[in-house]
Amino acid sequence: MTPTDVKVLVLSGYGLNCDHETAYAFELAGATSSRVHINELIDGSVTLDHFHIMAFVGGFSWGDDHGAGVIQAVRMKTSLGEKIVSFIKNGKLVLGICNGFQTLVNMGLLPGFDNEYTARSVALTYNDCGNFRDAWVNLKTNPQSPCIFTRGMDQMEFPVRHGEGKFYADDAIVKQLIKNNQVVIQYATGTGAPAEIKFPENPNGSVYDIAGICDPTGRVFGLMPHPEAYCQLTNHPDWTRIKEKNKRGKQAEPDNMTPGIQLFKNAVDYMSRQ
Amino acid sequence: MPHRLEITLKPDIVDAEGETIRQKAQSYFNITLENVRTIHVVTIDADLTEDQLKTIQTEIFTNPVTQVSSYDPLNIDFHWCIWVGFRPGVRDNPGSTAVEAIENCLQIKMGPEYAVFTSKRFCVKGAGLTAEDMDTIAGELLANDIVQQWKIYDTHQWDPASGIGHIIPRVVLNHTPVVTTIPVGSDSELAKISDQRNLALNPNDIPTIRAYFLKKTIQDERKSVGLSDPTDIELEYISQARSDHCNHNTFQGLFRYEDLSTGQTVTEDDLFKTYIKTPTLELKEKKPWVISVLWDNAGAGRFDDKHHYVITGETHNSPSNMEAYGGAITGIVGVYRDPLGTGKGSKLVMGSYGFCVGPRDYEGELKPRLHPRRLLDGIIEGVKDGGNKSGIPTPFGQVLFDDGYLGKCLVFVTALGIMPAQINGEPAEEKKTSPGDLVIMCGGRVGKDGIHGVTASSEVFSEHTPAGHVQIGDPYTQKKMHDFILDVRDQGLLQFITDNGGGGLSSSVGESALFSNGCEIQLEKVPLKYEGLDQWEIWISESQERMTVAVSSENIDQFLALSKKHAVESTVIGTYTDSGKLHITYEGKTCAYVDLDLLTSGFPQWEFDAQWQPPERRGLYEPVLKEPKFMDALLCDLLSRPNICSKEWITRQYDHEVQGNSVIKPLVGEERDMTSDAAVIKPVLSSEKGLAFSQALIPAYSRIDAYHMTSCTIDEAVRRLISVGGNPDHIGGVDNFCWPDIQYDPVINPDGKFKAAQLVRSCRALRDMCMAYGIPLLSGKDSMYVDGHLPGKFGETRKVSALETIQFSATGVIEDISKCISMDSKIPGDRVYLIGMTRNELGGSEYYERLGFTGLNVPAVHPKQFIPCYKALFLAIDKEMVASAHGIYRGGLGVHLALVAMGGNLGMNIDLGHVPVDISEKALRNDTILFSESAGRFIITVAPENKNRFEDMFQDLPCSCIGTVTEKSDPFKIKGIDNKSLISTPVQDLKTAWKQLFGDLI
Repeated sequence: MTPTDVKVLVLSGYGLNCDHETAYAFELAGATSSRVHINELIDGSVTLDHFHIMAFVGGFSWGDDHGAGVIQAVRMKTSLGEKIVSFIKNGKLVLGICNGFQTLVNMGLLPGFDNEYTARSVALTYNDCGNFRDAWVNLKTNPQSPCIFTRGMDQMEFPVRHGEGKFYADDAIVKQLIKNNQVVIQYATGTGAPAEIKFPENPNGSVYDIAGICDPTGRVFGLMPHPEAYCQLTNHPDWTRIKEKNKRGKQAEPDNMTPGIQLFKNAVDYMSRQ
Repeated sequence: MPHRLEITLKPDIVDAEGETIRQKAQSYFNITLENVRTIHVVTIDADLTEDQLKTIQTEIFTNPVTQVSSYDPLNIDFHWCIWVGFRPGVRDNPGSTAVEAIENCLQIKMGPEYAVFTSKRFCVKGAGLTAEDMDTIAGELLANDIVQQWKIYDTHQWDPASGIGHIIPRVVLNHTPVVTTIPVGSDSELAKISDQRNLALNPNDIPTIRAYFLKKTIQDERKSVGLSDPTDIELEYISQARSDHCNHNTFQGLFRYEDLSTGQTVTEDDLFKTYIKTPTLELKEKKPWVISVLWDNAGAGRFDDKHHYVITGETHNSPSNMEAYGGAITGIVGVYRDPLGTGKGSKLVMGSYGFCVGPRDYEGELKPRLHPRRLLDGIIEGVKDGGNKSGIPTPFGQVLFDDGYLGKCLVFVTALGIMPAQINGEPAEEKKTSPGDLVIMCGGRVGKDGIHGVTASSEVFSEHTPAGHVQIGDPYTQKKMHDFILDVRDQGLLQFITDNGGGGLSSSVGESALFSNGCEIQLEKVPLKYEGLDQWEIWISESQERMTVAVSSENIDQFLALSKKHAVESTVIGTYTDSGKLHITYEGKTCAYVDLDLLTSGFPQWEFDAQWQPPERRGLYEPVLKEPKFMDALLCDLLSRPNICSKEWITRQYDHEVQGNSVIKPLVGEERDMTSDAAVIKPVLSSEKGLAFSQALIPAYSRIDAYHMTSCTIDEAVRRLISVGGNPDHIGGVDNFCWPDIQYDPVINPDGKFKAAQLVRSCRALRDMCMAYGIPLLSGKDSMYVDGHLPGKFGETRKVSALETIQFSATGVIEDISKCISMDSKIPGDRVYLIGMTRNELGGSEYYERLGFTGLNVPAVHPKQFIPCYKALFLAIDKEMVASAHGIYRGGLGVHLALVAMGGNLGMNIDLGHVPVDISEKALRNDTILFSESAGRFIITVAPENKNRFEDMFQDLPCSCIGTVTEKSDPFKIKGIDNKSLISTPVQDLKTAWKQLFGDLI
């Protein structure tokens, strides 16, 4: 398969709001993406089997009124739960960003211990700082993680934009996540050291600085930061500074392949090799 | 039977909401709480089985990892417990989504007899807390009695078995809708009824209204449809359409403007036409990029060959003043419907805010309904939920504090959208209704919400202002509708679209029917939230999240199918006709039959007396002031003032990067903490073009002269745009006037003539500046009556009027976003240039305000001198010769040099001796140079290697190198005109000062 043969389903509707830029990011990564309304998937006018990657995107599904991602999870699980599980078991990829990550954990698709994709064992709850927060964060990737999306990536910066992004789980669950290398990315300082729950490096109080986890296969990945918000150099908060320093020979010219696109490209390349 | 589920976080999990309440109780009221736990209460008024209840408890309402829940009251220890819930009829967004969730989860359909209500219970612990403390926390922190109710329990009053009981705030009207006929025997009779029914008819309009209904031909026509005297629905329709909010009677009024210094009187007939419409149309001829102005919900300019951008700005002052959260969220969500309803519909791409409130730490004698601190908290949160949940970035905003806003706050909300240039080969900015098209209402349902909102905002706030006009916006419902509208637009199914804002269906259907010249509406088809609304209430209700759409009958099936796909309710409520009549029936019986052209004919113009007294004749003067000795301390003091200091805490609550379109963010600099001059977005992801956006607010200058207030505000907005790379040849403007009452009355408005003169002067400045800078006004609004009557210490009531305020928004297309720049200094060794003349213009400045003076020498704008500088700067930025650019605004050169240095976290070495000074001025003092707020100026940093090229571009223009950027370890140093060191302070100390006031807020 060539990358353009990789078909990506990007969910939309019911208050989701990052569908356009997520679809665009996958296109930049070489794939062919479609924005599909949740109801089109439920009523069968669009079939999941047709796709290779399914993206649960950011937004405020159902207003996030009863816990972020909760109602979307109920809706998807009730109507499409089994189809999505077999999608995963067929070797395809699922990505959840922000509200999408919240939905994946509420559906139980993550952490997916022992290939069991229905148990809710981790949560994304209210930020310790007590408020919604938009800020870029430093992230450190776990090189041992089986995650497809972050292959070959080390440190990166993406923005967080959420009020309920604090990763929480019982100690035993966290330990198991660590042991399985399912902790994919952690909030970090500028040098890549763990943030150690210090605000604002860890923007929400997540335990073990967890910003994103995958299932044991590495094919289901959820994260709170927004990779699709860094698809172009001018998205970065420092780009005017970087450009000026680069002009004076004080900083290397940044790569047009932003970490945001790289993350999507890893997924597209993986599928195109299957 | 109702079921009440209580949910709370497990004890070992931080209760961030409870913790915020604890902190606020301490800092706002000095009440020490040990601990607050929040319990979410979901009251389900529906017949569900035990199994069903269990299912929704575990699947929807309880997170097994973080929460516990019970259908019995949770046993959480407290000293006091406060329950807070909505009043009946108040929009309960979580309650509505809970219904959807239950239906999804149980695969059932809940009928209208069932509902879910959400509320909260706070378990408070702390030693020695009194009932009075709890009243304060409940009434002044947790709830607003306009929209909420609460109960306070101590441990003795609490029954652990029944808890709060079952509180069902359901609206039950038990009312049969009835149309009332209103006699029009005499002017006084109608005036009396207008008062009784809160119709707010202008007394001068009454004879015109009566004359219409008394006309023989009209009476005969009416008889044929079974009507005689006007019905309540007809008079409500006229009242809405004639209100100042909808019809802009003030701006279209006749002003007798007398200059008391010269004794000359000029008549100004129709400020809108003279100062807004005529100049804008003239500029439209010269600027081919102007696409659509002066008629639609928002104005449009060309973005590229395939897209237009759309912009408008609104205020939502009166409702926010009553209920800050509800007013503000309704305001932002409401303004987002304007671009959505512009042309055949636009996608929303950004929003911005401007908040003007009383001092956050106000401790004076007046008792505004909501303390400014609480008001601001609520407004911030309302715009946060409204913007974030709409998925629209908020990359720009301003907050301004002044005592004048204690009477009424200002909440400015601005929206930008983007539309394809063509849809199905037709221009997307055009639309019309045609006879036979169906009238469709989409989105939310209609309730008693917002009835008489429009007329209330046209009145001074008093204890009699009806509370019913306060609403809570629902961004979730609107976001679904937004996506739906764009879908049907792209399928070419829309003939016409407009939003339901002020005046509800009355305005939207009335205005859209003007195109086809008539409509027939079957009012009983309008979906209601609850039964029992009178016909006139359905017609004018301002229930939110609704659009009115015209669809031709052959497309209706496809339209309704897409509506279903997007889970949006759409209802055909009538047909457009060419009868010339607004014809409304209810269950087959006519209840309104009015000529559509009634509103455009024969109503008398409003009239105002305006008297101008120049500032020097009002006793204003330049203060007697010797130069300060402690300039470091003074600079830090100014940096820490509320109207200058960092407000990062607000900016970060707003998602400013959703849609992936962010280019220049609201926070820039090495530590990403400095306020950007303007925002730049990339609204079409596949294009390298951008849209720059800025706003300015400088009402303080109105203390001297609203002419200069207005011109400086416009100049500031222009410079903000240029600072990021905006092109001075393509600037679109939006004017938002907020003015106190200008109708003179010897008792209730004794300075009305002066305020009217200020308005005339402001309009003159608006025209002068727009013509000079070539800014067509793409959109604009006015909000009058920014006054309040506040209770004082001794039982008296004092009238407080806001400063005459204009918010000016500027926007423009950036050809290549990669050339945009930010305000922060970049590299040590760079040369610091000052562009523009500094003059002795401290009047109304932040510096004078700090010292308790007003002064006289208010800054003036000299477009002929400024424009060549702006063009040169634009070219220099375009040629990528500029490392940073920042305008000089409130606080003057000293403050803004400091901000540039703080942005780079680099030192700076400045010599005031090199500052360009107008030769006509007497020698300026150091404090004048540092703190004068002269317009037309920028601080630029330039790489040393670009020196010659840069300076060549500014030949013969006021532009001098005044210093250099120094190393990180170097201080911020300024040398005075006497060659002596004036300021030497570490940059981090400046930053500490700038952040100290609100630095602890998140």
